[in-house]
Amino acid sequence: MKNFTRLLVAAALGLGLFVSPARATVDDALSFALEAMGKYIKGGYTLREDTWGGDLPEKEAKAISHQLFKGNDYWFCMGSDVNGSKISIHVYDSDGNLVEESNSWQDQKADGSYAGAEVKCKRTGTYFLIVKIEKSSEERTSWGLVYSYK
Amino acid sequence: MNKRPWQIHTTLPLAAALLAGVFAVSAQQPAQKIDVSKLSYAQSEVVIPNPSEVFAALDKMGSPNWSKVLNPPSKNKPIHPPEIAMLLGTVIANGFVAVEAKDKGAVDEIGRKVIELADSLGVREEVIRHSNAITNAAKDGEWNTVRTELDKAKSSVTGAMEKLRSRDNSQLISITGWLRGTQALTSLIMADYKPERAELLHQPDILATFEKQFETMGKGAKENKRVVELREGLKKVKTIILSGGTEPLSEKSVGEINAITTELLKAIEH
Repeated sequence: MKNFTRLLVAAALGLGLFVSPARATVDDALSFALEAMGKYIKGGYTLREDTWGGDLPEKEAKAISHQLFKGNDYWFCMGSDVNGSKISIHVYDSDGNLVEESNSWQDQKADGSYAGAEVKCKRTGTYFLIVKIEKSSEERTSWGLVYSYK
Repeated sequence: MNKRPWQIHTTLPLAAALLAGVFAVSAQQPAQKIDVSKLSYAQSEVVIPNPSEVFAALDKMGSPNWSKVLNPPSKNKPIHPPEIAMLLGTVIANGFVAVEAKDKGAVDEIGRKVIELADSLGVREEVIRHSNAITNAAKDGEWNTVRTELDKAKSSVTGAMEKLRSRDNSQLISITGWLRGTQALTSLIMADYKPERAELLHQPDILATFEKQFETMGKGAKENKRVVELREGLKKVKTIILSGGTEPLSEKSVGEINAITTELLKAIEH
């Protein structure tokens, strides 16, 4: 699993948008996101090279607008390398309705945190991915987000 | 790291009031509805999907004849960087069509053309390993790996272009990749029109993103004849897509988009 994750990280680092000056930390956050995505890739999802990353204060959220296609199944995985942090990702359609499946999840481990949301797209159009730092001891918490589809 | 053209991610700080609305409930129980009007004012650009994403959706709606829409490799050898970039975008996108058609020979040729064009843009080294991986995976019939490597090849080229401060060309690669994908998509929808298939063309925010990218391009790209044609053509496509509102486009509208995109592709590839 570690080798697979490293491979994904190597493939993805240098490809995303990083709005944070703390690049190395955002890279780490992205590696967490990729690690979380690993099981879905093994399950037949195709990882996209597009990634997002940045840092946010606790309780602050950001929205990302994103085109999805009817019939596709998407997984969005978010990661942070800040110990004890808690993060979330949720997906809304252009009318503001929550569209993710009920199996969306959040997880904390000793060295960081993860979150995932699945969307089985029923209507082609623009969607909003809402990422948020729910809890963190840091002034700003780095985060990374990746997605896959099948 | 610089933003990449097809990776321009609209990260929008949400108003405090909106946040309260979105996250009034605990994170485990997100709000069932939010007010997106408070987001839309700041919405600027969306990520450009690669053709494979929309192709995957189309595949679920029937069995498209991908071989029929697979173009022969372009013999064009443009000399102006914006035109090389435009051709490269279409070639990579054609690679995704070849994957759908499971055409090993075409994938191999496309891999070689990608290297040739990347070389012309001074970024050969960035794509060579992906090109090799594409060829090897195609030989073994590992089509998902080919898709992934095509995506990586595009990312590597455009990333390298950004490092060389050629953001305009990087964006053109993405735009023409979308163009080729849409041309193939509309051809297949027309072959067996169904409203649910036509719905896949509902991508107005992507076309709005392109328009913003054209607007910020430098003179060298913006005034290139082919780029001017592309920009004008995509404006027409946007008008047609918007005319459908949220409803699937009619067969006639799909045909119009197909005619425009086919014409634009001809100019780039020949």
